Amino acid sequence: MNRFIERNIVWIFPLPAALFILLMMAFPVLYTFWVSFTDWSVASGGNVHFIGLKNYYDLLNNPRFFNAVKMTFYFTILAVGVETVLGVIIALILNREFWGKGIAKTILLLPMVATPVAIGLAWTLFYEPTIGLANYTLRSLGLQASSWLASRDMVVPALAIVDIWEWTPMIALIVLAGLASLPVEPFEAAKVDGASAFQTLRYITLPLLYPTILVAVVLRSIDAFKTFDIIYTMTAGGPGFASETLNIYAYSLGFGYFNFGAASSALVALLAIVLGSSLLTLWVRKTWEI
Amino acid sequence: MRKVCLLLAVVMTLVLIAGCGGGEPAKPAADPAKPFAGKTIRFVAANHNWTDVIKPLIPEFEKQTGIKVNMESYEEQQLTPKLTTEFTSNASTIDVFMTRPLQEGRLFSKNKWYENLSPYLADAKKTPAEWDWKDFKKSAIDAVTLEGTVYAVPVVTEGEIVYYRKDLFEKAGLKAPTTLEELEEAAKKLHDPANGIAGVVVRGQRNPSVTQFSGFLFSFGADFLKNGRCVLDTPESLKAFQYYGRILKNYGPMGVTNMSWPQAQALFQSGKVAIWIDASTLVGPLMDKEKSAVYDKVAFTTFPAGPAGAKPYDVVPWALAVAAQSKNKDAAWEFAKWLTSKDIMNKAIAKQQTVARNSSWADKEATKNWPAGFAEVVAKTGQISLSYDRPLMTAVVEARDVIGDVIVKSIETGGTADLAPMLKDATIKVNEMLAKNNEGGK
Amino acid sequence: MMDEKQGLKAKIFWYLMVLMFILPFVLPLIWILMASFKTQAQIVAMPPEWIFAPTLANYKRVFIEQNFGKFLLNSSIIAVGSTVLSLIIGLPAAYTISRYKQNILGIFILLARLMPGISYLIPWFILFSKLRLVDTFTSLIASHMLVGMPLIVWIMVNYFDGLPKELEEAAQVDGCTLQGAFFRVVLPLSGPGIMTASTLAFLFSWNNFMFSLVLSVEQTKTLPLAIYGFVSYAEVSWGSVMAAAVVIIAPAIILTMIFQRYVIKGLTMGAVKG
Repeated sequence: MNRFIERNIVWIFPLPAALFILLMMAFPVLYTFWVSFTDWSVASGGNVHFIGLKNYYDLLNNPRFFNAVKMTFYFTILAVGVETVLGVIIALILNREFWGKGIAKTILLLPMVATPVAIGLAWTLFYEPTIGLANYTLRSLGLQASSWLASRDMVVPALAIVDIWEWTPMIALIVLAGLASLPVEPFEAAKVDGASAFQTLRYITLPLLYPTILVAVVLRSIDAFKTFDIIYTMTAGGPGFASETLNIYAYSLGFGYFNFGAASSALVALLAIVLGSSLLTLWVRKTWEI
Repeated sequence: MRKVCLLLAVVMTLVLIAGCGGGEPAKPAADPAKPFAGKTIRFVAANHNWTDVIKPLIPEFEKQTGIKVNMESYEEQQLTPKLTTEFTSNASTIDVFMTRPLQEGRLFSKNKWYENLSPYLADAKKTPAEWDWKDFKKSAIDAVTLEGTVYAVPVVTEGEIVYYRKDLFEKAGLKAPTTLEELEEAAKKLHDPANGIAGVVVRGQRNPSVTQFSGFLFSFGADFLKNGRCVLDTPESLKAFQYYGRILKNYGPMGVTNMSWPQAQALFQSGKVAIWIDASTLVGPLMDKEKSAVYDKVAFTTFPAGPAGAKPYDVVPWALAVAAQSKNKDAAWEFAKWLTSKDIMNKAIAKQQTVARNSSWADKEATKNWPAGFAEVVAKTGQISLSYDRPLMTAVVEARDVIGDVIVKSIETGGTADLAPMLKDATIKVNEMLAKNNEGGK
Repeated sequence: MMDEKQGLKAKIFWYLMVLMFILPFVLPLIWILMASFKTQAQIVAMPPEWIFAPTLANYKRVFIEQNFGKFLLNSSIIAVGSTVLSLIIGLPAAYTISRYKQNILGIFILLARLMPGISYLIPWFILFSKLRLVDTFTSLIASHMLVGMPLIVWIMVNYFDGLPKELEEAAQVDGCTLQGAFFRVVLPLSGPGIMTASTLAFLFSWNNFMFSLVLSVEQTKTLPLAIYGFVSYAEVSWGSVMAAAVVIIAPAIILTMIFQRYVIKGLTMGAVKG
């Protein structure tokens, strides 16, 4: 028995995991693809017919879909962009030994591990225009109060702020770890050449950090594309459809209208965007060797 | 809180006395009076004030019948997906569930998820005469009847009414608004953002706003559908959309487009708004000393009249259904029947639930704990109302999203946006939805 | 003298910078904690009251009226269950992926991270219904494992890559089978990696909202779901919502503080290596 296992360890060890993935992931994904070619909808009484690409055709003719694509990218680029800049700055500030560094790192961890639903609700209260902290702060600074989540222009930035609060620390910590693993020689050479702190940063630190930052950005973008908890609890896509991302749109098609066919085609579109962006980044990275 | 506890204690005592009055001591399972003893049923409920009232009474039912009830309750937006996914999979174990006739009645009927209750009602063995189906309000029975079959038993009804602050009205020398013009005047006069008071609040969130907007739409002489076609592109309809947007933008609180009833209610409770228009079932927390800063300053009135008169909705928001996939249908019916019996309905009305039985309302004693003037407003609303608050169609959720989007745009611009093309567009979309489900153009 | 003074000034300036950038990340959490001990009136009072007579009424409501104790237990069962099971099937897989370069399987497991979670929900529901697992912990644990297992494999493949192959070879010379070497030599040496992986898997399960939204029933309701239901129900009692938020966030934060080293490693893993 033992011998048998040893000889066949190559497939025995990964078998349970592979079966699990097959059942829990491969089946649902293939199923989603299949459903996206059908007219399965609870409203039509549950009769399922194969309709080819009709769902995709409808999707491409629906302004709401394009709005959702736009909002998905707007949210992701805004949130991840600010997170990257802030995260790198914080990492550079923290990148030295000082009393309290441990505490600072602990604090950075907290937003990441705090339950998003609970965080979303708390921020909803901060943003409450009449009784919330956000407008109180604006007013005490002598600024114009905002409707935040109820304002078409402010809703995506307001949601992005929550994402930024939650996830900037991740980029900061990744970059911090990256800084610690940089080689010493280039910095010593720069010192000998009399480079200023800014020059060192611009010409040595950042270029060496690019690969790390890039991976951090990819990881964050994948999750930002799929953000659900916060948007669902805070605005459910509103006001109107001003904060409806693809994920929220697909949820509303699937579990609001119970039009499983249309929902599946929207999900395939979202998947294509997530996969496409990841592959594109990998390709860019490979071609430019950064 | 103490008040609630006291009420609970009173109800429990009543239940106990009633239980003793039944006289017969409990016998083992073979008892012919307990044909379903030992059965277990699964009851899926919505989080609702009514659910709070009946939940503590269920052990009494279990004792009477020997049926064990496993109750679950879900928040509204979660309940429909839950029910739908379970029923879609054809492997549901749900026996009795709460359902929204206007929202999912057509959808669920089409999929045959409701047990047809007409045979049960017709069978004197299953439904004794004293339970009295005819005791339910006529409009409520109509609401749960589709193509001649009854698919659920109405639980509560709710109408659109006006809650307002009598202290602010008195100070400003205003009377309760009887027309939409007076409503706008009052909102304008009381709107005082410098002191943190908004004139009026009604739901502004895309999907939830549609039901509250319906009263305005009807009162302007318009409607969602007519003869199976969407008619939201009429001039009357346009005026209603403009009015709704105008009063909420100009005299509403900030952030109204992200407000459903909990947010609006919270604002009214904390004294930040002078007028609130919403369903009559939401009165409880306003009058609660512990939760409401204005509990002694709330007054009520019926929906104000528009060009076409005062036409609020008065609907059956919740009804009880037996699942077609249930394996214990008779035990399930027993439970649904008990929950909607005169006895339980009378207990619910005493706790300010606007129940669907006429006999409960006939008893003046039952409504004596209600806020002054409230029962009259509810009764009057019942007389002038329409029995729906959203388009009656299968794809109602999708249609609400489309209509709600126009409402939001109107609020954002104070009704000044060029709404006519938007309404035309919405009308086309709703008609497409109707056609898709073979409901169009009758 | 001058230098020292300037050094001190620079130091103060720099500490202020740290404060400015770090403080915003903890302030909202402190605010939530404070609000959970406030009455509704105190919460909406502006300017915010920093000193106030704390009330336990919110917690009483959360635990006694809303039964959060039970949801806490449910969340724990599901988080622990899914983490342990993910370890059991994930560790051996990670081992062979690392040692035998089973990259295709590796990529498949990682794909699970890319998929939008919603696309699983309907198929899962049908699957679990056929297996009669809908109202059980099994379905929820299995769904959470789809998040936890790939995470564990991803972290552990990296970790095993760093362990020298000679370890197992030496054990095999001593008469161990390969699987014996894995259990007796490799795993005991992987403590830190396993800690990292399981802490993260636990946290992700603890915080999961979407899967529970569709798959859980009353008996298996988890905390994120309970707090969400709490808000849209009856009226918004912000103090109670905040108390519920504390109940759900606190365990995650305490766990993070205890295993801080591992959490940081897990979250930054793979990115630095490039």
